[in-house]
Amino acid sequence: MTTFHEPRFVGARVARVEDPRFLTGQGRYVSNQVVAGMRHARFVRSPFAHARIVSVDTSAVPSGVAVFTGEDWASYAIECTSRYEGFQSAAMPVLAVGKVRYVGEPVAMVVADDPYEAEDAAELILIDYDPLEPVTSIEQALSEGAPLIHEHWTSNLYVPRAYTSPDYDEKVREATRTVSGRFVNSRHSGVPMEGRAVLAEVVDGEIVVRTATQIPHLIRTAIANALGISENSVRVISPDVGGGFGVKAQAYPEEVACALAARSLGAPVKWIEDRREHFLASHHSRQHVHDATLHFDDEGRIRALTAAVYVDMGAYSVFPWTSTMDTGMAMGILPGPYRFTGYKVNGFPTCTNKTPYGAYRGVSRPAACFTIERLVDWMARDRGIDRLEARRRNLVRKDDYPWTNAGGLVYDGGSLEESIDVMREWIGYDDLVQRLAEERRRGRLVGLGMAIFTEQSAHTTEEFKKRGVPIVFGYETATLRLDSTGNLTIATSIHNHGQGLETTLAQFAGEVLGIPLERIKVVFGDTNQVAYGAGTFASRSAVLAGGAARLAATDLREKLARVAAHLLEVSEADLVFHEEGVSVVGSPESTISMAELCRIIYQRPDLLPEGVTPTLEATRTYDAPPGTGTYTNAFHVGTVEVDEHTGVVNITGYWVVEDCGVMINPLVVEGQIHGGVAQGIGSALFEEMVYDEDGQLLTTTFMDYLLPTALDVPHIATRHLETPSPNTIGGIKGMGEGGAIAPAAVIAGAVEDALSEIGPVWISEVPLTPERVLRYIRQAKENR
Amino acid sequence: MKEVAAESRTEITLTVNGVAHTVQVSPRRLLADVLRDDIGLKGTNLGCEHGYCGACTVLVDGETVRSCLTLAVAVDGADITTVEGLSGSDELNDLQRAFQEAHALQCGFCTPGFLITATELLDSTEGPLTEQQIREAIAGNICRCTGYVHIVEAIRRVSEARAG
Repeated sequence: MTTFHEPRFVGARVARVEDPRFLTGQGRYVSNQVVAGMRHARFVRSPFAHARIVSVDTSAVPSGVAVFTGEDWASYAIECTSRYEGFQSAAMPVLAVGKVRYVGEPVAMVVADDPYEAEDAAELILIDYDPLEPVTSIEQALSEGAPLIHEHWTSNLYVPRAYTSPDYDEKVREATRTVSGRFVNSRHSGVPMEGRAVLAEVVDGEIVVRTATQIPHLIRTAIANALGISENSVRVISPDVGGGFGVKAQAYPEEVACALAARSLGAPVKWIEDRREHFLASHHSRQHVHDATLHFDDEGRIRALTAAVYVDMGAYSVFPWTSTMDTGMAMGILPGPYRFTGYKVNGFPTCTNKTPYGAYRGVSRPAACFTIERLVDWMARDRGIDRLEARRRNLVRKDDYPWTNAGGLVYDGGSLEESIDVMREWIGYDDLVQRLAEERRRGRLVGLGMAIFTEQSAHTTEEFKKRGVPIVFGYETATLRLDSTGNLTIATSIHNHGQGLETTLAQFAGEVLGIPLERIKVVFGDTNQVAYGAGTFASRSAVLAGGAARLAATDLREKLARVAAHLLEVSEADLVFHEEGVSVVGSPESTISMAELCRIIYQRPDLLPEGVTPTLEATRTYDAPPGTGTYTNAFHVGTVEVDEHTGVVNITGYWVVEDCGVMINPLVVEGQIHGGVAQGIGSALFEEMVYDEDGQLLTTTFMDYLLPTALDVPHIATRHLETPSPNTIGGIKGMGEGGAIAPAAVIAGAVEDALSEIGPVWISEVPLTPERVLRYIRQAKENR
Repeated sequence: MKEVAAESRTEITLTVNGVAHTVQVSPRRLLADVLRDDIGLKGTNLGCEHGYCGACTVLVDGETVRSCLTLAVAVDGADITTVEGLSGSDELNDLQRAFQEAHALQCGFCTPGFLITATELLDSTEGPLTEQQIREAIAGNICRCTGYVHIVEAIRRVSEARAG
């Protein structure tokens, strides 16, 4: 007879259990859901960036098609006010009232029996606008006498932010050299393949809103707040979601509008966003301008950083983040993985006549990484030292942890120096650099770039308290229930939309009970089925929901052990939990299957030890201490070849050494890295929301706004280090965003290296479209 | 208020995954909408509706077509395969299995389009395929989640297995 051991599911490279439904066309996306009597909505959107609405003429709309305009719903709005003193607030209307503030803002809504008819009817609404001067850049917005986007404000600045470390002046004096630049990241966004989608209906007095969101409970809060009704009269269901990346982590006017229309019409109302609407009205992100100076000594040791962070937050503050999120995050993480302490930073979250600005995978960290890594590259150039060596000299060291960075973030642990050493050996760095230099001397524009970073993940109470947001996202909750057949259901407040959490949460919690994946179901995305929680964003779900699920599994195990010990007549300490059930250590013949054990607990209360209730359900909440996050680290290196005549950049190699603590499922970890890097390559080379000076968005199709294809993204090689977090359950760290953080810095460094034989350039702007690359080539020639 | 003139409708017959469907459609109705809403096969997803992202790709008489840009009346009488028709039974076929084993999907929204494109590639090109051949063939499909690495790997595995 075999001896049973406690199984280890964590660390297993297992295929995902959620895959078959997607592979056979059974995905449960909102667009696939049909309810009886369903009608179809279409929004009429503003063609002007800034204008007064003079009149709305709906008389041409055929009877049988319902129309709503701003006046109908003027008393409802989505408001998100920061707790920061002096924050200038402006509620986001459901449909614009009196004035429009960005191209694409919803102004009217039609509801018809058929989506084709709804589109026809929307074209029949005539709106007369009186255009106002648009505010289309940060510079213009903050200039003296700029038009006010919100008339009751005193300027177009949401709220100024500032921080100076106590030792800043002293550290600046210690420095002997500086490098400076203006670092520009373009406006772009997550652009999931599924656009937004909403289906709202009223069932037994409850407004049921199916919506493609990452944050179902927060959307319920937003809708209940907007409508002024109780939360238990709203049910939000977010079924399968075709990619989120942060775009679907905000409350949108269309979600509230569909709820209102369904209530008003007494009929289910469905709205499926089209791609043009997605570009115009799904929240944008990433647009940062940093003016930054790095202060260092003759040996290339960083002493201090001075920075001003400008973020173009668009026309309204978004729920639940407010319009300060990007600025605040950048101010904290700009010092990167380096151990200097002198720091002075000012932040300017700016209001403009553009689409509101929300989350996108990495939130600010790509821009922050770009700025600090470009500066470190330039410091290496200034000092004539190797870029890898320049980093190694300044990194937080193993014995520094826990390290409080110059921005006040507490790094819990990592392997920064080791990641550089592993990379150096793995890719044969020294030979590679030499080979590329030789190729350049022969006239090929080839180069190498690198970036190293820490990824703040699973940050909770302390961090969000500091950010002044109205809702502090401190925890997640999981309820575990065993049924009488010994199968486990995990109901959790996070959401799974591609991250593999139906598999990894089952691995992480199932291990405690020895229950294998095929007997575990993970439930998420329905506010009537799961406890209140914030949802999935900020690389938090595995750590927080995983931690909660593991705690609840431990509670269940205690109860199961008590009953099993009673039935098998042994002590609880002598039990082994495994895939077959529960056994006595060393006596595999004394085994009770999980199904039998659960059946007895529910159906034979007469056999239970005294005081044991016939229930198998446990709920736990988890807020990972110390609440400022656990930090994954990674080192990325990439090589490129630039075409001198066309300016096209070809990525010829990409390597990642990353450390996200203990990995639950390395296959899923690698998938997340690959996807993140691909999105980062989009930021580095292609993606840009281009506005003209009237505030018209020019990039509203995939022909204008380019996403990386399989021919643009190279093979991405990955290596793992595993430094367990000292703070989290199981030592795991979040890592969903990391891949996207470094590529812009890596590719910019590689292109700069590739052009070095032509002449010196300082690349400080992405994406490196052919046009920009040709401009840098011209500069290199002029600087020769 | 005006009344909308009733649209003229045409009867067409499509054989979808081996089953004949006769439907009445207006001339402007898209194949994607007929498949999804008239026939009820929701597996074909719409990602951009301007023929670029490839999510809505289906096979029409054995060749890949963007169902978001194809008028249903234009393919009257055609034989169409959607993601629901890839494996005859409840089991996954070798390509679907390879996608699962290689972790070639995340959110799953683009996946039906990739499976259809890869089906055409594998059926029409002698293997084993090179990485470049695979990358060129799938360059008309956009995936926002995977960075393509595992998709390329899944297709490569099937191509090698089928080539023996």
